[in-house]
Amino acid sequence: MIEFSPMISVEGVIYAGAIGLVAIGALGLVLCSHLFRMLLALEIAESGANLLLVLTGFRGDSVAPIIGYGPAGAPMVDPLPQVLVLTAIVIGVGVQAMAASMLIRIYRTYGTLEMAELRRRMELDTAAAAGIPAPTSAQAPAGGRPLPPVPAFRPTHAARVRES
Amino acid sequence: MNQIVLPVVLPLLAAFLMQPLARVSGLLARVLGPLVLGLSALILVRLWLDFGEAPFTVAIGGFAPPLGIVFYADHLALMFALAVPVFTLLFWPGLGEGELDPDRRARRDALVLLLAASCTGLALSGDLFNIYVFYELAAVATFGLATLTGTARSQVATVRYLLISAFGSALALVGISILYMLTGTLNLGHLAQLAPHTLQGPLGLASFALMLIGFGVKAELFPLNAWVPEVYATAPARVSALLAGLVSKLAVLVVVRLLVLVFHQPEPAQLLMVLGLLSILTGELAAWRAKDFPRMIAFSSIGQLGIVFIAFSISGDAGLLAGIAVALHHLIVKSALFGLAARWNGSLDALAGAARRAPLAAGLYVLFALSLIGVPPLPGFWAKLLVLVGLAQGGSTLQLFALISVLLVTAVEASYLFRVAVRLYGQSDSPPAPPARWDLGAAAALGAVLIGVTLTTAPVADHLRNVAHQAGNAALYVDTVFPKTVAQKD
Repeated sequence: MIEFSPMISVEGVIYAGAIGLVAIGALGLVLCSHLFRMLLALEIAESGANLLLVLTGFRGDSVAPIIGYGPAGAPMVDPLPQVLVLTAIVIGVGVQAMAASMLIRIYRTYGTLEMAELRRRMELDTAAAAGIPAPTSAQAPAGGRPLPPVPAFRPTHAARVRES
Repeated sequence: MNQIVLPVVLPLLAAFLMQPLARVSGLLARVLGPLVLGLSALILVRLWLDFGEAPFTVAIGGFAPPLGIVFYADHLALMFALAVPVFTLLFWPGLGEGELDPDRRARRDALVLLLAASCTGLALSGDLFNIYVFYELAAVATFGLATLTGTARSQVATVRYLLISAFGSALALVGISILYMLTGTLNLGHLAQLAPHTLQGPLGLASFALMLIGFGVKAELFPLNAWVPEVYATAPARVSALLAGLVSKLAVLVVVRLLVLVFHQPEPAQLLMVLGLLSILTGELAAWRAKDFPRMIAFSSIGQLGIVFIAFSISGDAGLLAGIAVALHHLIVKSALFGLAARWNGSLDALAGAARRAPLAAGLYVLFALSLIGVPPLPGFWAKLLVLVGLAQGGSTLQLFALISVLLVTAVEASYLFRVAVRLYGQSDSPPAPPARWDLGAAAALGAVLIGVTLTTAPVADHLRNVAHQAGNAALYVDTVFPKTVAQKD
C-alpha cells in the first residue's frame, strides 16, 4: 500500500470516492427536476455502491484472485465481493434499461421530461380517469382548466377535462 | 425436502419458456403459468403438512454454508412461501379480462411468474445477497406489471417508483458492503453468530439503517412510500393487490429476519417504531382526505404497514406474534379490497348505490372494513389487541405514544371506511358497475377465510404463537444452519 502520508492511503481515497459517488447520486436524485438527469444520478449512485462493495475485498499488496497469477503464497484480493458486484452491475443495467424505455414512452406521450410538469399531468390524468375534480394548484386554480396547447406532441385524453 | 427449491425454480423456468412457447402453442402458454403456480402451491402445502417441529435447511447445489446459499424453512417461511402462489393465482393480473394477443399475454404471464419465483425466494432464502437478488428481481417484475395498462400516467408513476426503489437498493448494497466488511460473511446464520462481537458499534447501526431504507421501499415505510398512492392508483387493481398484499409482507419479513437474527440492539427497534409511527400518522390522515377508492385503500395500506412495523419493533415473542398477526390479516384484507376496487375505481361519490347492483361485494366490503378497524370478534380485532397489549407492556414513552397513535388512527380509519360503507348503501340513479366475477370470487374466498379464522380463533392463535416463538429463536436458526459444529470465520 503506497502511503502518501500517515493519514491518507490509496484505500482511504477510493473509499471516500465511492461514498462520494453515492452522495452525488443522492443529491442528484433529490435536486434534479429532469427525469433523465435523475436517471443518470441513479446510475452514479449505483456505481458508487458497486465500487464500495468491491473495495471491501481489497487488501493492499495483493494480486488478482487467480491461481498461478502471482508468486506462490502471495495474498489475493477477496473474490467474493467481485462476484457479488458482477451480479449487482447486471441488475443495475437491467433496471436502467427499463427506466430508459419508460422515459421514451413518457416523452412520446407527454412531450416533456420535467418531473414537476409530469407529476401535474399525471395527477390530472388520474383525476380525469377517476372522475374526480383535479387537485387545484397555482397553474390551475379553478381546477380542471384546459391545458395550453403545446405544438410538439399529439393531444392525449388528458386534454379532455371536466368543467369545474 | 429438496422440493423446497421447486417453487422458486419452476416459475423461473416457466417464465423464460413462456414466450417461445407462445409462438408454438397458444393454449399451452395460456395454461402453463397457472399450472406451474398450482404445482408450487401443492408442493408447499405438502411440505407444510409434513412439517414436524424442527425447521430444515437445504444447501443449494450441495455447497455447505457459510460459503453456499441455504434455503431455510421454518413455520414462518413456509407460511409466507405458501401465500405467494395462492395469492398470485387469486389475483393473476389480467386473467379473464379480455383477449390480449398471445405475445403480450406471454409477456404478462412471464412477469407474474418472475414475481412469484422471486417472492418465494425472498421468503425462503438464508443468504443476504441472495435475498438482495430476489428483491431486485421482484422489483423489476413489479415495474413491468405496474405499467400493464400502457397508459402514460402509469409510466410516470412507475418511473418514480423505479427511481426510489433503485436508489434504496443502492443504499441497501452499501449496507451489505458494511456488513461484509465487519463480519466477512453474508450468510444469515453465520451473521447471527458473529453479530454480538462485530456489529455493536455505530457502523453496525448504519448498515441496518441503510438496509432498512433499501427494503423499506417495498414495505411502504415512511418516508420511502411517496410512490405508493400514485402507483396503486394507476396500476391495474390486481397488480396493486399483489404489491400491497404480498410483496410488502415479504419485504417486512426480510427486515424481521434481520432484526431477529443479526441486529439485537435496541436502536434498530426504536428506529423501526419511530418510522412506523410516522407511517401510521401520515398514511391514515391522507386516507381520510382521499377522494377515490384505490387511493384511499393505498393510503390505508401505508397506515396498516406502519402498525406492522410498530408491532415488530416490540421486543420478544409478543412483538413477533403481534406483527405476524397484523401482517397476515392485512395480506388477506387489503388484497381483497383491491380486488373489489378493480371496477370501483372512480371517485368515492360515484360509489353511491353500489350495494344495489352488487350486494355481495358491498357486504364483503363491510366485513373487511370492520376487520380493518378492529371490531370483535373479527381477526383484525385480535391482531390490533395484540399490538396494543404488547405496547402497553413495554411501557416506555415512545411505546405509550405509539399506543395512543394506534388508537387515534383506529378512529380515523373507522371514519373514512364507514363513510364509504354508508355511500355504498345509499341511493343513486347510476350505481357503478359490479366487480368482475373473478375479482368477486377472490374477495369472497378471502372473506370466507376471514370468517373461518373468526370461528377458529383459539387454534389459529396457538399456531401463530408457535410460529412466532420459532421465528424469534435465533439460536435455533443457527443450530439448524450449522448443525453440531460451530463454523469459524475464515
